[in-house]
Amino acid sequence: MNHYAKYLLVLGCLAALVIIGLVGGPFTLYLATRTMILSIFALGYNLLLGRTGLLSFGHAAFFATGAYGLAITSIHLSVHPLLGIFIGVTAAAILALFIGFFCVRHTEIYFAMLTLAFGMMVFALIWNMRSITGGDDGLYGISRAAISLGVVNIPIRKDYQFYFFVASLFVVSVFIIHRIYLSPFGLALAGIRENHIRTEFAGISVKKYRLGVFTLSGAFAGLAGALSALLESNVAPFSAHWSHSAEPVLVSLIGGLQTFSGPIVGSIIFVALREVLQRFTYNWMLWFGILLLAIILGFRGGVVGSISGASRRYFRQ
Amino acid sequence: MGESLLDVRLLNKAFGTVVTAKDLNFSLHSGVITSIIGPNGAGKSTLINVLTGLLAADSGEIWFQGREVTREPIYKRVKLGLGRSFQVVNVFANLTVFENLAIPVLALKRETSNIFRSVARLRDVHGDVEKVLNQVGLLDQAYMIAQSLSHGDQRLLEVAIALATKPRLLFLDEPTAGMNPVERTRILETIRRLSQSGEVTFVIVEHDMDIVFSLSERVMALHRGQIIGDGSPEEIRMNPQVREVYLGEEVGHGAAG
Repeated sequence: MNHYAKYLLVLGCLAALVIIGLVGGPFTLYLATRTMILSIFALGYNLLLGRTGLLSFGHAAFFATGAYGLAITSIHLSVHPLLGIFIGVTAAAILALFIGFFCVRHTEIYFAMLTLAFGMMVFALIWNMRSITGGDDGLYGISRAAISLGVVNIPIRKDYQFYFFVASLFVVSVFIIHRIYLSPFGLALAGIRENHIRTEFAGISVKKYRLGVFTLSGAFAGLAGALSALLESNVAPFSAHWSHSAEPVLVSLIGGLQTFSGPIVGSIIFVALREVLQRFTYNWMLWFGILLLAIILGFRGGVVGSISGASRRYFRQ
Repeated sequence: MGESLLDVRLLNKAFGTVVTAKDLNFSLHSGVITSIIGPNGAGKSTLINVLTGLLAADSGEIWFQGREVTREPIYKRVKLGLGRSFQVVNVFANLTVFENLAIPVLALKRETSNIFRSVARLRDVHGDVEKVLNQVGLLDQAYMIAQSLSHGDQRLLEVAIALATKPRLLFLDEPTAGMNPVERTRILETIRRLSQSGEVTFVIVEHDMDIVFSLSERVMALHRGQIIGDGSPEEIRMNPQVREVYLGEEVGHGAAG
């Protein structure tokens, strides 16, 4: 794809974002907001899986930390959304740094199992610390207060207002993660995925870089969690459950691990497919599983990966 | 003979009952191209692995430029100037040739933790990568994916990645294996030139005795984890113990011819 086509595509997507926000009904806005939140979760996650080659089953813990961080701030400290998001993201990043410290010295299955074990511990903590987290009830009644920036107040209570708030954070996240892909840090991560021994022999501390990207992806998971707490106005303990960690894995796989935009496209497919199946089929999980299988096996390298590969072959001829 | 770059003291390494380094004591000197020879299983690759940090020594000390590195992690040794290439192709297979070399160049410039600058805009990185590509003659293939290169070119890239870390001391594990004569000449010329300019001191593990004897100023012969001969190529040719355990007739031919 040449430069102009890329710019046109990006402009088209931005225009579509704005149009959905202006004309979409409440249900469309809700689904679109959820899609963007899942995209943030998966884009950050794919820095770890697709870029660095590390499979984590513990990212629900960071998502939940972001969500509970915002909820607890909102209930006990201040309803200012930006403060809640800041605390949620910071808490998620610190937890990721702590858990990552123990996990990054291992690779492959050991790494995946360790992240799973830590994720289960976080779930158990949230489940049991009833006085703080509400236990199995979770926390509810999180209000979407206006964002006060001194002189101006930006309301986010209405659906379309909140939609634009999430959309702007989504665009910022996409921009940041895109910069990371093009940066020296991003190249070092690709080196670790391709050949971690050679990366070490290029003079790079593989452990530190793994920890760095683990923390970063944890922070994006925390951002997604905080935004989802605002969207749903409650947080449930099952957002920390390990089965929730599978979501960014599936989304990245559907879109394409080795692509930048794969997690976004994967999120759209994931949310839309689940919505349709839940509505029109009796046993939606069965059909969902079958369709996911078909997509993952049918599109090698994910939907984005296989389409861009096919178009590259087409234009070369 | 130049200053001592690397000092090894009473180094031991064994895998179970198989001894691959037994009380090794030696120094490597700046500017002296040294070859390590020995029959298969003599401990040559293990020695390189221990010296560069891929394997931990059982006991003993390794000093590099007056600093003990016995327990330093690999990347720190590389930053100090201790580099290596691998016996089998060990490159970043799905990255371009340019990216393969940009990784060590960026690491050297301490730029790899940079999150927001674009690699494409770091001009001096391009210059450094091109310099290394030029040295090994891969400039035309800079934007090819590494695994689509011919085997010989991948071997060149293998050596190029090691050179891009700007090592003071560079271990090359069978650098010419699988190369055609043109590539072989090019890599040997590069080694000679860099050695003469005093930038890099090379230590080479090689099976091809013509290369060993034409290139090196010092040869160390290993057998069962011990040094059985150490000296100029001439001395090694004449060393009866080396001839007995390893070189045999091959040296006889070389000496006669």
